[in-house]
Amino acid sequence: MNKKTSPECVKDFPNPGFGLGLRSKHFNDILENKPEVDWFEIISENFMDSGGRPKNVLRRIAERYKVVMHGVSLSIGSADDLNFEYLTKLKNLAAEINPLWISDHLCWTGINGLNSHDLLPMPLTEESLKHVCKKIDQAQDFLGRPLVFENPSTYLRFKQSTINEWDFLRLMTEETGCGILLDVNNVYVSSFNNDFDAAHYIENLPHEKIVQMHLAGHQNCGDYIIDTHDNFVAPQVWQLFSLAWKLTNGAAVLLEWDSNIPDFDVYHSELLKAKDFMNDLPEIRNFETHKKSESDGVSNPLDFLVTDVSYELNR
Amino acid sequence: MPTDTQKNLAQIQNWMQSVLVSPEFDSANTADFVNDSSRLSAERHLRIYRQSYIARLRDCMKNQFSALAFALGEDLFQMFADQYLEAYPSGSYTLNDLGKNFAAHLQETRPDAGSAEKESWIDFMIELANFEYSLSIIFDEHADEKIVLADDSTTDESLKLIPVFHLFRHTYPVCRYYLDVVNKNEPELPFEETSFCTVSRYNFRLNLLEINPAQYFFLEKLRDGESVAEAKDQTVYKFGFDAKDFENVWQMWRKNFIAADFLRVESVGAD
Repeated sequence: MNKKTSPECVKDFPNPGFGLGLRSKHFNDILENKPEVDWFEIISENFMDSGGRPKNVLRRIAERYKVVMHGVSLSIGSADDLNFEYLTKLKNLAAEINPLWISDHLCWTGINGLNSHDLLPMPLTEESLKHVCKKIDQAQDFLGRPLVFENPSTYLRFKQSTINEWDFLRLMTEETGCGILLDVNNVYVSSFNNDFDAAHYIENLPHEKIVQMHLAGHQNCGDYIIDTHDNFVAPQVWQLFSLAWKLTNGAAVLLEWDSNIPDFDVYHSELLKAKDFMNDLPEIRNFETHKKSESDGVSNPLDFLVTDVSYELNR
Repeated sequence: MPTDTQKNLAQIQNWMQSVLVSPEFDSANTADFVNDSSRLSAERHLRIYRQSYIARLRDCMKNQFSALAFALGEDLFQMFADQYLEAYPSGSYTLNDLGKNFAAHLQETRPDAGSAEKESWIDFMIELANFEYSLSIIFDEHADEKIVLADDSTTDESLKLIPVFHLFRHTYPVCRYYLDVVNKNEPELPFEETSFCTVSRYNFRLNLLEINPAQYFFLEKLRDGESVAEAKDQTVYKFGFDAKDFENVWQMWRKNFIAADFLRVESVGAD
């Protein structure tokens, strides 16, 4: 692909349409069958250090498909300073594969140099807003492009929080020029866990700053919901998607599936269901309680980030 | 000087992180930081993160050390993994580094550390842990794989090892055990037995091959930059082989090494 300069403003980002997360299980399917998928989202950390098969496959896929880089370790909300070794690797990968944009999460992953490898919730305060905006400015200056931040699934609300998450995201975009990755499933999960109205959340975001949406499956554990990315999208999330689609004038859509990953055709079919919900706006305020899952899930499953070497053996 | 902002944020994050990573759940200050919701107490909200933290990292460890997990059994592996994660919490942005110090940790905390008589099974576990972590590194190491593989017509003078090629010597049959686990043969724990193997990567796929001591010696020489002729001479000398007989052995080795895809054609002027 030709090298292009990244747009300076998120409103100038292109809309690539309907995309899928790039997972190693599907590498061969994609390379051999060249499916008609609009774009792929990669997990940046899977490829930043790779000198083997993952990077080789990514180069080949980036020659044919549009690619977006999605990270899990920027830790923009940590009280720690930015990790410039990490940012340098992110920048180098972006220079190599020319992504449409780079995204990460409004969260922190650790402090004092530790990494929990979880997307931990922010105390939403004036002070943390100032801190996050300062770090976003630094990261955007370093990378030379606006970044996009996703609302994470949250399982608690801090007593110290004084700002609603939708307002925090709006203020962040106003202050830094960053964009929003609206994870519709995460809104639903967080609203269930923290007693807020999911539709109200989506209605009160700055829709013109929403570059992309995420869809995913979750697990209902009875009195809380875990964002497991291991299942089909729940009906309640499709309903919220319908609202978000309308309000964002059809932002780019990406289906995540990170655990119990199905065959590529099943994964792709689930993404294309989004087209059935684009113009429909069913009743969205009174969700039924989900059927309880048989087992407790793990939030933000990251096991796909570690290569299963045995799968890559010649036998 | 940190501002009040950073201090407050840091206080909250320090508190939450300490709750997540500590082996025992301390709920004492939870109500100072976390709200109850209509369905859950503050403590239960916090427990969701705590449970996910350890479950996620255990899964990653099990993925990175699948043969070791089989060898130890689920409970023992989990105990060692939990102890390791407490002693060496991750400081890396990538989970691929998670098991970097696991073998060293097993050595540091070996159950027989205080006794004069050493338990041999622990040595096997440490070798296996080292081997599995090495495989994950070799799988993704940087190398130019634009090479021409050797074939029957390649002269000995043009033979070189491929760029991603590693030799291992173990005091247990670690490679065989690993392959048996991967192939779902459910192997028994092995007895002590010096073993040798190669791990090579061609076309981004790993190849594991058990070899004998003489082959290990010969390939070590090639790896260190010596020619096939020099490596052959040294092997004959080291193992007291008859030079004429060894020529027949070499022809078999050569055929097998070419079939295993770890010999390439030396490009003129490139090496």
